[in-house]
Amino acid sequence: MKWQQWAIPASALPVLALLGWGLTRDARTVPSPLPGKPAPDFALQTLTGDSLRLTSLRGQAVLVNFWASWCLACRGEHHVLLDAAKRYRDQGLRIVGVVYEDSHDNASAWIAERGGDWPNVLDVGSRTAIQYGLFGVPETFFVGRDGRILYKQIGPLDSSVVDRWVPKLLAASGAPAPTDTFAEGRSAGHVRLSPDFPTTSGTARRP
Amino acid sequence: MRLRWSLVLSLTWLSVAAAAARAQSPLDSAGAPTRDPRFEATVRDVAASLRCPVCQNNSVEDSPSLLAQDMKKEIRARLAAGETPDQVRSYFVSRYGEWVLTKPRAAGMNLSVWLLPLVALLGGALVVWTAVRRWVRQGDAPRPAAVVGAPGGGTPGQDAAALRARKAALQASLQDLEAEFAAGRLDARDLAMLTERDQAELTAVTEALRRVKKDAPEPVTGAARRSDASGVNRWMARLGWVVALGAFALVLVLSLRGSVAARSEGGTITGSQTASAAPIDMELQQTGPLDSLRIAQLEARVRRDSTDVPALIELGHLYLAQGMLEKAILVDTLAVRLQPDAPATAEAFAHIGMILWSLGQTDGGLKALDKALYLRPELPEALLYRGIIFFAGLQDMRAAAQTFEHYLTVAPPDANTARVRAMLNAARQAAAGQ
Repeated sequence: MKWQQWAIPASALPVLALLGWGLTRDARTVPSPLPGKPAPDFALQTLTGDSLRLTSLRGQAVLVNFWASWCLACRGEHHVLLDAAKRYRDQGLRIVGVVYEDSHDNASAWIAERGGDWPNVLDVGSRTAIQYGLFGVPETFFVGRDGRILYKQIGPLDSSVVDRWVPKLLAASGAPAPTDTFAEGRSAGHVRLSPDFPTTSGTARRP
Repeated sequence: MRLRWSLVLSLTWLSVAAAAARAQSPLDSAGAPTRDPRFEATVRDVAASLRCPVCQNNSVEDSPSLLAQDMKKEIRARLAAGETPDQVRSYFVSRYGEWVLTKPRAAGMNLSVWLLPLVALLGGALVVWTAVRRWVRQGDAPRPAAVVGAPGGGTPGQDAAALRARKAALQASLQDLEAEFAAGRLDARDLAMLTERDQAELTAVTEALRRVKKDAPEPVTGAARRSDASGVNRWMARLGWVVALGAFALVLVLSLRGSVAARSEGGTITGSQTASAAPIDMELQQTGPLDSLRIAQLEARVRRDSTDVPALIELGHLYLAQGMLEKAILVDTLAVRLQPDAPATAEAFAHIGMILWSLGQTDGGLKALDKALYLRPELPEALLYRGIIFFAGLQDMRAAAQTFEHYLTVAPPDANTARVRAMLNAARQAAAGQ
């Protein structure tokens, strides 16, 4: 009968371990697989009619900010972006807005009203949003000079987040990501890509 | 920031639904439905296995949101390009993580979902087996003498004692024989004969003892444990219990510490999110014991006549004051449906607005409050709630200050006045800072 004396306390240990593991974690956190990976490239039309490709900014620190004119949280966040643009522009920070599920006119009017001189691209069909694993707006990706995502902010930015991550982006050396990462002409359309491989969206359309 | 993740989600959902209604999104040719029913079935299968990121517990297949529709187009395009369903799923996992799968993969920590029921089943089976075995033994217990038979007519306990004494005597005798032989006082033939005789009886006694033990386990095993347990095992078992209980208490205390501690605005039970710039301490209404009585009266009125709008609105007011949000939104919605444009319904709209906001739906909340103020431009409740949303939710301090100012000019002084003044001052300072 000796083993039974042992069995009950012993069987409690894995249950405790599981409880400890489960209760000490935030159930709301959704881990993103993207930080550390190369930022998915995109080539999209800006609100002013130009074409912008993310790789054209390689070598610079970039904030890729997803927003929409209907998004109230984006309204609260906008002054943080304006402030970040002012404070870090000279040090080489670039901001790219990606307009999510919105019309050209609404987005243009919003920018005209609230300011912001950085380029904003229209993500028609949300392909770029899906490439970036977007859950909603606003979301902001901190992309380093090497083209890799350093940090992803879900929800509105505040200046403490900007001040924590932007200096890290700017401080990192400009060692470029592997050259084929941003290779021209490579798109999801004609190459089978591994899950980790960044793909082109927006202009690339499959038959 | 006061805006929580759930809020952002629902915001997005509301707005996306509105955008869907406006049907602004231009459709592109890639990913358009095909006429091949088998291909479409595969698309549906894959879409059903992926979670819609902007919804609450909805698959991409079931969600009407624009993002889910775009994801479905992406699925269709990838399948058309020759990817297998698993490759398409892997693509979405590479963007959203394992979260995006409606059915988690059987690997790593997820395995516990599959293994734990099995472990529980086996453990349960073991417990049942042990219990049944004990019951069967107890069922046999009343007739031990008949089973044991020979050794004596006493109880199983007495039989066992006698048998154990005999067994010890025989063991001693066998040892004596060895000693005698070693001392040369016994020759080999006698040793063999006597040993064989004692050994045979010892076997019989041991067998009888085993049967007695089996038939009457409690007194015998108890005695046996007391007589021959070294005590070490028992101490180890006790130590095991102490360690297990201590660990349990530690885990409990550590987890509860976070859960029961004063939670910051926007904090969750499992941890704190970003702290709020402006914590709110606003008792919306005073409640008293008379409220329950009044609620019962009003509920009776509504039961008699479910179109009694004044009763519905007052009920909504009392439910809200008591924190019964679901009931409040039910009666307020009913009132709003019955008289959508009556000034009296403004109060119901205001309640709905506050509840929606408290549930994280800022956009819907503001719309309801707008409607309330359209019906009654100076309804204090609506102004107060609107101010709170601007102040704590959107942190639009200028709008918050304006709304609070308006509130103070129209609302009669009450318990809320001082708090609103405090918020107004904070909003003015923050607006100046911005």
